[in-house]
Amino acid sequence: MAAETIRLSIFRYDPESGEQPRMQAFEVPLLRRGMKLLDALHHIKWEIDGTLSFRRSCGEGVCGSDGMNINGVNGLACITPVQGLRQPIHIRPLPGMHVLRDLVVDMDHFFAQYRSIEPWLQNDEPVPEHERLQTPEERARLDGQYECILCACCTTSCPSWWWNGDRFLGPAALLQANRWIVDSRDTSKGRRLDRLEDAYRLYRCHQIMNCMEACPKELNPTAAIDNIKREILNRKS
Amino acid sequence: MSHSRAERPLSPRLSIYRWRAPMLASLAHRVSGLVLVASVPMYLWFLEGLTGDEASFRHMLQVLHSPGGRLVLGLVCLAWFYHLLNGIRFLFVDAGWLETRPAMRVSARIVLWSALVFALVIGGLL
Repeated sequence: MAAETIRLSIFRYDPESGEQPRMQAFEVPLLRRGMKLLDALHHIKWEIDGTLSFRRSCGEGVCGSDGMNINGVNGLACITPVQGLRQPIHIRPLPGMHVLRDLVVDMDHFFAQYRSIEPWLQNDEPVPEHERLQTPEERARLDGQYECILCACCTTSCPSWWWNGDRFLGPAALLQANRWIVDSRDTSKGRRLDRLEDAYRLYRCHQIMNCMEACPKELNPTAAIDNIKREILNRKS
Repeated sequence: MSHSRAERPLSPRLSIYRWRAPMLASLAHRVSGLVLVASVPMYLWFLEGLTGDEASFRHMLQVLHSPGGRLVLGLVCLAWFYHLLNGIRFLFVDAGWLETRPAMRVSARIVLWSALVFALVIGGLL
């Protein structure tokens, strides 16, 4: 294969240096057809500059560790092919987050918001002898909800969350909230809706739809948020 | 961790995020809404001028026909058209009728292109 190179420009920040963040240029050979952006980051870390820091784990879009901003749009490096990306490929940490180092951001607040929606099945009825059954239709309502991997690509793409992230829960937490609201086995729907009905927690969503554009699993958090709003409306009327 | 949250830099956000049609459509909705709010006192001022005596009527006509007056009228018309069209789009989304990913994208494009065509028509008429 001809020695084709890929040019990258990567956000660097070293908290120990006391310097401001900067963009650093790198060149990486095109290692193979179908090469992913994570392969390029690995090549830099292993062959060029071992200090480059980023999170990754499974490397195939399941764990949600390597969410980052790629040429201005959030996505997972491990499932983004380098071919087809405009060069130099600008790689930055997830937007609107406190940077720990390079592409590694502080996820504490994001996960605290996830915890706040109580992401587990709540059912106060007696435990049946076997499973809690659902009809195929009830199960189908979970499609497009349960696949979320909490990579934070959606939440950190949302301008409402950038500006009101302290109070607005953001698309990921709200999609997860909807996942339990639409679950026929969950009996806490009313209480869940009570807790979400708030000018900030839920209603800061202004249909910007960046979450839908950013989601690497092709889910639609905007639609999930709208469903929560309709559920709240339905119980009032 | 030795560094407190306050010391850590915030990663760049609006300045680097790539604009897509739905984001532009949402922002334009806020901006056109602000223009419409601002146009209410202006409209009352026009109304007062046009319903006063003959001199004030002539003066207001001059204001409205001046290049600045035409620009303002054109922008208010455009804001009204856009806010109405995209507002209907938002109502559809709220009602759950445009909730697939392609529908959200295509509807944003349709609204934005329609506003552009409308702006050209208004620009031609004024």
